[in-house]
Amino acid sequence: MQLKTSLLVALVLSAIGLVSWELYWRSQGYEPTLDDNKHLWAVERDKVNSLTENDVVLTGSSRVLFDIQLDEFEKVTGIRPIQLASAGSSPLPIFHDIVENTDFNGTVIVGVTPPLFFSTTFPQAGPWRRPQLRVDHYHKRTYANRVNHWLSIPLQENLVMMSGHEEEADENIDLKGLLRRIKLAERTGKPQYPPFFEFGTIDSDRNTRMTERTATDTAFANVITNAWKFIITSDGPPPDVEGTTKFFAADAKKFMERGGNLILVRPPSSGMFKGGESKFFPRDKLYDELVKITGAKSYHYEDYDELKDMVCPEWSHLSAEDADIYTRVLAQEMIKDNALTKPTN
Amino acid sequence: MLFNSLSFIVFLAIVLVLYYAKLFNWTNKKRMLLLASYLFYAMWNPPLVILLWISTIVDYTAGKKLAVLENQRQRKMWLLLSMFVNLGFLAFFKYGDFLLENFVTALNAVGMDFQAQPMDIILPMGISFYTFQTMSYTIDMYKRKIEPARTFLDFALYVTFFPQLVAGPIVRAKELITQFYEEKKATTQQFLWGTFLLTIGLFQKIVLADTLLAGTSDDVFGSRTILHGLDAWTGTLAFSGQIFFDFAGYSTCAIGIALMLGIILPDNFRYPYAAIGFSDLWRRWHISLSTWLRDYLYIPLGGNRHGITSMYAALMITMLLGGLWHGAAWTFVIWGALHGIYLVIERLLRNKIRIKINTWNGVLLALLTYTCVNITWVFFRAREFETAKNMLASMFGLNDGAKILQSFDIIKVFTVITILFICHWVMRNTSMKAVSLKTPPIVLGIVWAILFVLICIAQGSGEQFIYFQF
Repeated sequence: MQLKTSLLVALVLSAIGLVSWELYWRSQGYEPTLDDNKHLWAVERDKVNSLTENDVVLTGSSRVLFDIQLDEFEKVTGIRPIQLASAGSSPLPIFHDIVENTDFNGTVIVGVTPPLFFSTTFPQAGPWRRPQLRVDHYHKRTYANRVNHWLSIPLQENLVMMSGHEEEADENIDLKGLLRRIKLAERTGKPQYPPFFEFGTIDSDRNTRMTERTATDTAFANVITNAWKFIITSDGPPPDVEGTTKFFAADAKKFMERGGNLILVRPPSSGMFKGGESKFFPRDKLYDELVKITGAKSYHYEDYDELKDMVCPEWSHLSAEDADIYTRVLAQEMIKDNALTKPTN
Repeated sequence: MLFNSLSFIVFLAIVLVLYYAKLFNWTNKKRMLLLASYLFYAMWNPPLVILLWISTIVDYTAGKKLAVLENQRQRKMWLLLSMFVNLGFLAFFKYGDFLLENFVTALNAVGMDFQAQPMDIILPMGISFYTFQTMSYTIDMYKRKIEPARTFLDFALYVTFFPQLVAGPIVRAKELITQFYEEKKATTQQFLWGTFLLTIGLFQKIVLADTLLAGTSDDVFGSRTILHGLDAWTGTLAFSGQIFFDFAGYSTCAIGIALMLGIILPDNFRYPYAAIGFSDLWRRWHISLSTWLRDYLYIPLGGNRHGITSMYAALMITMLLGGLWHGAAWTFVIWGALHGIYLVIERLLRNKIRIKINTWNGVLLALLTYTCVNITWVFFRAREFETAKNMLASMFGLNDGAKILQSFDIIKVFTVITILFICHWVMRNTSMKAVSLKTPPIVLGIVWAILFVLICIAQGSGEQFIYFQF
């Protein structure tokens, strides 16, 4: 057995194969990106343990992720917040984790995306399970998990073929993702989820910006709005407004009683989302009531002239440029109101 | 640490550099391997290394005493101490909640109202593997079948040797400790063959098990609805492939990595899905466990020495406990019981029917065996009896349930499983090494490259190996 020859052949062919694979996907417009996965989230979550009372933590759904830009926030306030928002998630499990498992008593800014915030407290439901998996991963992650993540960062940042996503996005180019693209005869009789693509990029401290393509290419933005349309019109369980409000209020009370500063923000939405949210999640009955019950400070985009007419290219998130403006205005208003300073009892 | 992770690639590279650099003598190289093995384990949960230390110290001491003591009663006490510690670890960490749950059920059944909080004990990774390995040492010492380990270092390395620490193969002392006595260095051929085996093992795990089969299996067994027969069969077949590629993949990696260090580990799988009958299956599936159970359970229970009834009883007990070894749940016991029943039926039939095996009836019998094995996998994979019952009803056409799988998933699973079965049948009486020897080096290199590129493309998310939980 001439294994040296075999190894040489294998090395040469593997190198040719992998370089070709990388170049092919780059030629298709793919660029290396970090994945917003549970490992990246856990690194940020870990930072909360060593924050002071002057620090700021962000949590919420993808609107907080896309719309609050860390650089802009830091420019205005001098504080770089920790970004713990999680896409497609209720903020309740993450806020609950901060309240129950840390001593943090600085500022927590909680984004309210009504269909997610008021969705559920049922552990198996998607909006709860997704962030809870991240919280659980943080508490259970091994040293091997940490080292693997650390080693994977340069690979993700430099190689398209290593930039897979934890979520099953249609643009994934790992083998599983490619196989998922093959569609044969439909046999389940269930409506099929329309194509969905990532429309933002994330950096190592989870600052997320919408891609230029999403903001400028209407056809691409429509692919995303089709996915939202599918979600909005799908049969799902009714929102649990009472349960979620009660759950959050209890955590809010505990957090503020230990000196924490709680701020609720309601970022903008457009199109079908805005229509649906206004109709099914009326502000006066849900958001305003939540603010009243919790006693938290509040920043609703409709209350500010610079923000109230902002347009989200795919109905739910702001373009990178608008996100900078939104953050700047929001942060300036907070400074003006002295909102980042803890209340004196 | 998982073989299919970036940290392991770095870890292995450092270990190999230290092992082959002329920095250390053999004793220090063994110390380095031992420290590396503890680090390998501690990267998952550092405090649980203490269990390894306790097991190592107790069994080393017991072994030394068993080597010198002549008093039979004292010897038995040392053996019992070793068994008590190792089985005690298993009982507490692996079966604690299960025992408590059944205790509560039993009390409730006799009308006593008693509730207990689950203990939520963390299951130390690979505990069933290393406890069985160390117990084999003390039992062999008790029976005076082997010499005691020459040094504590040799014994500690035998218990902890990282390639096979958490999921086997379960290696006997005489096969491994003796290899540590003299300096080991892989020849170039051994090193490269070990690298090839590592590639094959990772391909089995990352590409075949995790990428092609796990999703379908998870979807089917995780479904809360009654399934259509085709979906139930597809999910079961997918699991049969997943568990084979997952576990055989781990064993192949372990054998390859050890070989890169010049250490030879025994085969753990020999193309089991081409087995004709269940005795044949257990000579091919998880060989190191089945031989362990044969030598330390079935034979001490009497084996075939005390008549047919006693033999069947020993066989059933062995398989039931073998099932329980895999997990603390009654579904695993049923899995073991089914295998026991299959073995008993096979032995009964063997006395009455003589079949001369040729290619055609061989394939049919292997298919029949594989089909029966799949029925047992339903109990192995299902977390609840209700799921297993519904799955089996669907598989036998008693349910007209929901179709949850897409056409492509079904085609994918049936394609992979058909290729798997054909490969096992073709390789039934040969080995990968023998086939490689006949393969032109360039062709082998091309195959190697394809496997490696597919591993890189599949990436995987560092999923755990299924057998870690056992």
